Amino acid sequence: MDNAIYSGRDVVEFSIWDVLRNLLLAARWTVALSLITFAAGGLVAIILVLIRNRTDRWGKHVVVLYVQLFQGTPLLMQLFLAYFGLSALGFQISAWGAASLALTLYCSAFLSEIWHGCIQAVSKGQWEASACLALNWAEQMRYIILPQAIKLAIPPTVGFMVQAVKATALASVIGFIELTKAGTMIANATFKPFMVFSIIGVLYFCLCYPISRYARSLERKMNVR
Amino acid sequence: MSDKPLTSEIVIEAKGLKKFFGSKSVLKGIDLTVFQSEVVAIIGRSGSGKSTLLRCLNGLEAFQEGSVRINGAELKTNNAQTLRALRQQIGMIFQSFNLFPHLSVGENLMLAPHLVHKKTKNELSTQAINLLKRVGLEEKFHAFPDELSGGQQQRVAIARALAMGPSILLCDEITSALDPELVSEVLQVVESLAQEGMTLLMVTHEMNFAKKVSHRVIFMHEGRVHEEGSSIDLFTNPKTTELKQFLSSI
Repeated sequence: MDNAIYSGRDVVEFSIWDVLRNLLLAARWTVALSLITFAAGGLVAIILVLIRNRTDRWGKHVVVLYVQLFQGTPLLMQLFLAYFGLSALGFQISAWGAASLALTLYCSAFLSEIWHGCIQAVSKGQWEASACLALNWAEQMRYIILPQAIKLAIPPTVGFMVQAVKATALASVIGFIELTKAGTMIANATFKPFMVFSIIGVLYFCLCYPISRYARSLERKMNVR
Repeated sequence: MSDKPLTSEIVIEAKGLKKFFGSKSVLKGIDLTVFQSEVVAIIGRSGSGKSTLLRCLNGLEAFQEGSVRINGAELKTNNAQTLRALRQQIGMIFQSFNLFPHLSVGENLMLAPHLVHKKTKNELSTQAINLLKRVGLEEKFHAFPDELSGGQQQRVAIARALAMGPSILLCDEITSALDPELVSEVLQVVESLAQEGMTLLMVTHEMNFAKKVSHRVIFMHEGRVHEEGSSIDLFTNPKTTELKQFLSSI
């Protein structure tokens, strides 16, 4: 009886395969949301880093404020504001759109801070030496600073990407059906939360572990030159 | 001293140069004229403004008052275009070498001529090999900076600066970070440049070297040119008490 729910007269049984299949289907949305977040968040972060490096004081202040705002408030709150706040203001936004928007803003703040730090970490002497060789700003960035900064940036960027994959789980609170939300629904239907959430754990691990592994091999490749 | 006669052509001309870091005045009105093929040593205590003066001359530091002319062209630190043109005539070598660690020695030498002068691959590698020969490091073309000794790194840095074909070289305490036994190999290269007629402006703590190679020595004290003259005059017959004190302290 534990393993069944009543649906009219019939008792519906869920096999492990049913559970796994439905979780895997939902995991697609976790992957999609993660990819959108990385791509859009990374793009916005690049723009933020450029503004911070290329403009005078006010541009820097605006970027720092932006970063502080999104780093200093809970992602959960940002998701609520993006979803319910925007619709209260009259903008119709889907859970999908709100989750993408909130996670993009959140990721861009963290990534821009990480990347800005890595550019700062390249010694001032590298800027000066390349300036003395008559390189312009774009050439300095492209050939001298970024190759060194990227090497520094890989471990913290990947570390944050893994965090971001797991952070997509919070999108479940605004009704976006990704892995965690689907898991909650299935657990409620099957009365087997332990099994369901164990599978969810394994699935998140399967998403995150390859990213870490890839990062390590990339690091090794760059150190070899 | 170099055998080449000095021409009367002025290559560096600074007038009334003033520089502040915040409210702190670092350069308090510097007038400096350097002629073509002249070798000028700048000496003085740390904090006297020697390095800052050098860095103002190629636009690494902005200055608040005064003017600088390099080969007749006015230096404007806020104009990227003119700075780029100026920096092809005036090379700089640093205390900390500042080689690009992610590039091989050859790539260090070829990058800027490739980007700025748009030379072909063949021209670039021939030039790089010749320059490495000149500093005695032709076998290090494929090595990376962290595989070289300090003296070797500094010689590569000199070769890298020469690759842009400058007529003036600024040397900012280029042997101060070196182990004592490595100093002479770098100074030999600098001396050979002086003999070939390169205009050299060097901040140095190597008094014997300054005495031997430079035509003129400038003693800086508290942001001013305190005393200047030929190297023989200045070292054997210092006039101001500050210079006497400085020379006796080293």
